[in-house]
Amino acid sequence: MALDPVVLFFLLGAIAGLAKSDLKIPMAIYEALSIYLLLAIGLTGGVKLAESELLPLLLPGLAVLAVGSLIPLMAFPVLRWLGRMPRADSASIAAHYGSVSVVTFSVAVAFLASHDLDYEGHMVVFLVLLEMPALIIGILLARMGSKGPTRWGQTLQEVFFGKSIILLAGGLVIGFVVGPDHIEPLEPMFFDLFKGVLALFLLEMGLVASSRIADVRQYGLFLIVFAIVMPIVSAVLGTLLGYALGLSIGGTLLLATLYASASYIAAPAAMRIAVPKANPALSIGASLGVTFPFNIFVGVPLYFWMAQTLYSLGG
Amino acid sequence: MQSDDMHLLTVVAEAILEEMLINEVCAMGVAGYTITDARGWGRHGKRRGNWRAGGNIKLEVLASADLCDRIAARFKEQYEADYGLLMFTVPVALKN
Repeated sequence: MALDPVVLFFLLGAIAGLAKSDLKIPMAIYEALSIYLLLAIGLTGGVKLAESELLPLLLPGLAVLAVGSLIPLMAFPVLRWLGRMPRADSASIAAHYGSVSVVTFSVAVAFLASHDLDYEGHMVVFLVLLEMPALIIGILLARMGSKGPTRWGQTLQEVFFGKSIILLAGGLVIGFVVGPDHIEPLEPMFFDLFKGVLALFLLEMGLVASSRIADVRQYGLFLIVFAIVMPIVSAVLGTLLGYALGLSIGGTLLLATLYASASYIAAPAAMRIAVPKANPALSIGASLGVTFPFNIFVGVPLYFWMAQTLYSLGG
Repeated sequence: MQSDDMHLLTVVAEAILEEMLINEVCAMGVAGYTITDARGWGRHGKRRGNWRAGGNIKLEVLASADLCDRIAARFKEQYEADYGLLMFTVPVALKN
C-alpha cells in the first residue's frame, strides 16, 4: 500500500531533526497550523453532523466513552506492575494513552479521503468527548495513595477549556449550525487546503518527535513495546465497538484510530499541572516518539485492514 | 514607581506555569510584570520552546526587595520541588 504523501512530511521532519538540520518551524506558525487543523476537523464534523439525527447518537456516545475509559484503566496496571514504573509515571502515561491525538485522527481522515471513503460526522463529537475522561482518570490514579494537593482549578481549566477543546467544539458547533449549504464560502480555506496544512504540521511533528526519541531510548525496551502494543490492543477494541455500533468502515477506522492514538498536546499540559511528579519526558517520549509515528505509518493502514476484514467476515 | 529599594526579580520557569505564576504575583500585589518566551539548556535538559508544554517563560517583576523575596520564597515553596525554576534578583535604578 502506497504511503500517504502527508506522512512523508513527518519523515522529512524526523530526518531533518536527526541530522541536526537548522530547520525550525517558527512557534507562531506552529500555533497557527494547529488552530487551523483543530477548526477544520471541527467544521468538517459539524457539517456532517448537521445531516444526521442527534438523538440516536446518545447511546453509541456513551458506549464509546465507556470503552474509551477502559483504556487508561487497562494501561495503568501494565505500566505499574509489569513495567515496574512509579505510580505517578504509570498514571500519567495511562492518561496520555487514554486521551486522543487530533493529528493522528487527521491523518486517518486524510487516509479515508485518499480512499474515497466517507465517515460519520459524529466521530468528531467522539474525538472531543474522548479527550477528557482519561485525563481525569489518570489524575485520580495518580492521587490514590499519594499525599499533597492537586491543582484541580488549573487542571480542569486545561482539560475543559484548553484551546484544542474550544476550537474543536467551536468548529463543530459552527459547522453544525451553518450546515452543508452555507459552509461553501469557507470550503476552499478549511476543506481544500486541509491536506497541505496537515503536511506542514507533520513536518514540525517530525522535528519534535526526532528530539524525543532519545528520551524513550533512555527508558528501555518496555516502554517502546508498550507504545506499540497498547495502541494495537486499543484499536482492536475500537474496531469491535465500531462494528457493534454499525458504523461505516470509515467510521470504524476512525474510532480504532481514536482509541489507538495517544495525546501529546492536551495530556502533557494537564498532567504536568496535576501530576507534577510524573516525568514528562517518559509520557511525551512514548506517545510522540513511538506511538505517533507507529500510528501514522503502520497503525492507520493496519486498523483499516482490521475494519475491512471484520466487515467482510461479518457481512 | 520611584524608590531606592527597587529590585528586579527574574524567574525562568516552565511555560505551563505561566498562568499560575501570574496569579500568584498579582495576588501578592505587584504593580506589573513582563513575560517573555524563553529557550535554553540547564539541569532540566534542553528547553527548545518549539512545544507549548515544553518551552520556558521568563517572568520579570519590579518590586521592593522585600516583595521580591516574598514572591521568590512562595515560588520556591510551591513549585521548586516539581518544576524547572530559576530565580534571581538584582537591585535596579528606575529611570522613570
